[in-house]
Amino acid sequence: MMHILNKKKLNQILTGWSTKYDIYAPQKVEDYSQFLPLGTADELALNEPHNTRFPPKSFFLPQSETLLKYDHRLKQLKEVVITPKPRIIFGIRPCDAYAVKLLDTVFDTAEYTDPYWKAKRNATLLIGMGCNDPCQTCFCTTVGHGPFNHDGLDALLTECQDNYFIETFTEKGNKLFSDLPAATKDQQRQVQEMQKKAAKSMQPAFDTTNLKQNLNQSFDSKYWAAISESCLGCGICTFLCPTCFCFDIVDEVQRNERIRNWDTCMFRIYSLEASGHNPRPTRKERTRQRIMHKYSYWIDHAGEIGCTGCGRCIRNCPVGLDIRAMLRAVNTFESETVNA
Amino acid sequence: MSETIVKLKTEIERLLNEDVIDVVIAFKQEDSPLRPQPAFFRNVAELEVLEYNSLCQNNLANYLTRFPQDTRIGIVVRGCESRSVNALIVEKQHQRENLYLIGIPCHGIVDIKKIFKKTGEEVTDYSENQDEVTVIVNGKEITFSRKELLHDSCLRCIHPNPVDADILLGDPLPEGDPNIARQEVESIEAMSRDERYAWFRHEAERCIRCYACREACPMCYCTECFVDHTAPRWTESDVSQAGMQAWHIIRAFHQTGRCTSCGACERACPMDIKLTYLTEKLNKDMRELYEFEAGLDSETQPPFASFNLDDKKRFIV
Amino acid sequence: MPDLEHNPYNPIPMHIMQAYYESNDYSLKSFELSFDNREDCDEFFKKFNPGQFCQLSIFGKGEAPFGIASAAWEGEFIRFTVQKLGTFTQQIHQLKAGDPIGMRGPLGNGFPIGNWKGKNLVIIGGGCAFSTLYALTKHIQHPQNRSDFAEMIVVYGTRTSGLCMYKNDIQSWCQREDMQIHQAIDIPEEGWSHHVGYVPDVVKEVAPSPKNAVAVVCGPPIMTKFTLPILVELGFKPETIFTSLEKRMKCGIGKCGRCNIGSKYICKDGPVFSLAELQALPDDI
Repeated sequence: MMHILNKKKLNQILTGWSTKYDIYAPQKVEDYSQFLPLGTADELALNEPHNTRFPPKSFFLPQSETLLKYDHRLKQLKEVVITPKPRIIFGIRPCDAYAVKLLDTVFDTAEYTDPYWKAKRNATLLIGMGCNDPCQTCFCTTVGHGPFNHDGLDALLTECQDNYFIETFTEKGNKLFSDLPAATKDQQRQVQEMQKKAAKSMQPAFDTTNLKQNLNQSFDSKYWAAISESCLGCGICTFLCPTCFCFDIVDEVQRNERIRNWDTCMFRIYSLEASGHNPRPTRKERTRQRIMHKYSYWIDHAGEIGCTGCGRCIRNCPVGLDIRAMLRAVNTFESETVNA
Repeated sequence: MSETIVKLKTEIERLLNEDVIDVVIAFKQEDSPLRPQPAFFRNVAELEVLEYNSLCQNNLANYLTRFPQDTRIGIVVRGCESRSVNALIVEKQHQRENLYLIGIPCHGIVDIKKIFKKTGEEVTDYSENQDEVTVIVNGKEITFSRKELLHDSCLRCIHPNPVDADILLGDPLPEGDPNIARQEVESIEAMSRDERYAWFRHEAERCIRCYACREACPMCYCTECFVDHTAPRWTESDVSQAGMQAWHIIRAFHQTGRCTSCGACERACPMDIKLTYLTEKLNKDMRELYEFEAGLDSETQPPFASFNLDDKKRFIV
Repeated sequence: MPDLEHNPYNPIPMHIMQAYYESNDYSLKSFELSFDNREDCDEFFKKFNPGQFCQLSIFGKGEAPFGIASAAWEGEFIRFTVQKLGTFTQQIHQLKAGDPIGMRGPLGNGFPIGNWKGKNLVIIGGGCAFSTLYALTKHIQHPQNRSDFAEMIVVYGTRTSGLCMYKNDIQSWCQREDMQIHQAIDIPEEGWSHHVGYVPDVVKEVAPSPKNAVAVVCGPPIMTKFTLPILVELGFKPETIFTSLEKRMKCGIGKCGRCNIGSKYICKDGPVFSLAELQALPDDI
């Protein structure tokens, strides 16, 4: 069933939820939007042209997180698992919500459950906002998703004129919106057509049919040196990526804590060994690792591409590298050099 | 501007055909019209995608330290880039004899973030002339004066002309007003200690330690940066206040006497941190204490790499 | 609330039982660790298999992976042989009997001994990487296990005789009838009566038969690189050659993303891989 909510009543709904949940929603900070604790609905930035600058993965995998505290008396490390108060991430885009679901395949496996991730996941509801006007840099449909996909969400809002139309997908999502009136059949149809139109408006950015194969076959090719020459080797693409999860574990002695921080395969020291040997000594190997991980190894691990097409890496790369172009190039590189 | 591209293409073709250089570092236009990328041209056929406009926002001198010193490199240099090249030569990171500097007097870099702030929408096309910039947003044309869109570093620019070039494509431009940079620093110096700390804290707390500022900077070429050291451990690597502030302060100090005010660090930052306010303060100190500006020639040692008996020592307690 | 016992990042409290140098240049030191808690000890030995590793942890200095150098039957302790190389290993070398230390493990897949029943075993090690092969050899030598396997040939090479680990045991192995041991050093020394030469050359000389055999190779990358082709030349099929890989690790449980080769994580899908598996992986080591 699709519910209908007049936009003017959103504040009321959010206030109602805030007695039981902490609510986070996109709000304007400097010149970009970011998920912040909610003040009032007037501060919401639900319709920025671009996604939030920082990905919502940080709600489950914070950039810096204390894992263990050192007890000097017992000379032992004690775990510090924080279970947050129940919370709602409101206005998350379908690409970011699906990214969280992809990360579950890393952090919540049969062999080892990451208790820090799990505690936060269990306490969180994801209420999505669909994308009526996907950006130029969005390519969710290319990687198998879409601007109104609901996989990974508890509920999804679609904005249409003066109303939000809400679809719920889980029991928890249902409960939040059960008091709202149902949309009429006509309204439902209108909304569904709008959703389809938005998805159709997105052109495929690259061909994924043989992408994994082409990447694997080009492992030793000159292609990697060619596309990574201007790459700075900073951490922007990986830190802002909603599916990147690599982390480093360090001891902060002055705070008696063992913490984990986001790390990136783009840094030289990421794979540097104590002997001095580095399996990925130059940018070419590191760029290769990043792209192959996202578009080949993820498929081996989780059965699908580890990218949800949010476009943050494209918008924020200081040298204008565009991963869509890099992937189009790998599809044609081998055949070009073979024919040359 | 397209006249410049024609001249540039001709010159690069000549350099490649006459085997004067092994590689030319310039810009290319491939994917988005708003994002020209640094490019490395090794043969004439590749020049089809050559680009030069005010959206070329990277300091190309950054790439010099990636090549062995015996590589013969042609490089497009604007004002700040040519000074970065000099600063690298002073530090023996490259040899002048192996560089061919294609100088272009610079009208300033257009800050795409300023375009987005003003249009708030998706920009699909871009064109410019000497005084104006025109973008297409939702099918409509919007024109701005160049000055409203220039990156803040360019508004403060004192030396838009390459200080050294083997060929100059374009007429030299008048020097900028050194007072603009000085006044901006003074306005922060005029704040109370608490206000200044609040400003600094506000800028540093957004940092995500992506190190894009370091990687975009031509003078940050250390194989192992101090933040990556574990023995001894100089700063925390997490996003605590202490770690972030230490990172910003120490990197700025490492730039003292070496920074050419290009602003590449600020343009690279994904969190819009105004990084240059720290380096501009140190640049001002260098001018006042030692009458020194980085990169004006390829011989003068920066003050912190040399010692004269009459150096002012007031900051040494 | 998450189950406290299953936090895979929390090291198990251990103490050093004894510590002794293995090499004459003090670069290699063995530590035998005992469990503070009985339940941890029982849990560990339920899962333990030679070829696995543990993350040893000293607060303030960090954590690093070390191959387990003891067999389960040796007692309720775990032995590690640590080479002094960086910040963390320097700190471990300063530990003595009675000092506390943290341990996370056993991690990794270990040698697939179950598939080797009835086979001839060719065990080839070089330098400090011999530690897990030592564990493997000790495991097989136990009367309860030995009859499960056929012939056993061990080749162990070090740069000098002083760097040879587990000297007492190796000497006693020379006397055993249920195995052959071939020791080697890189350059001749006075009083050395065994092989002289690099391990790959010694393997060529010993020429173990590939018939009904599996080979396990652990050593510095350069040694492994040259030994594997020799085994292939001798007729060993890639599915019967095994090696143990190393890469920089942090979590040890396949979550931090760091230690991958292609789509395999060395900590979780390895560290033991067959040559056949390696050949299917990209050259990222």
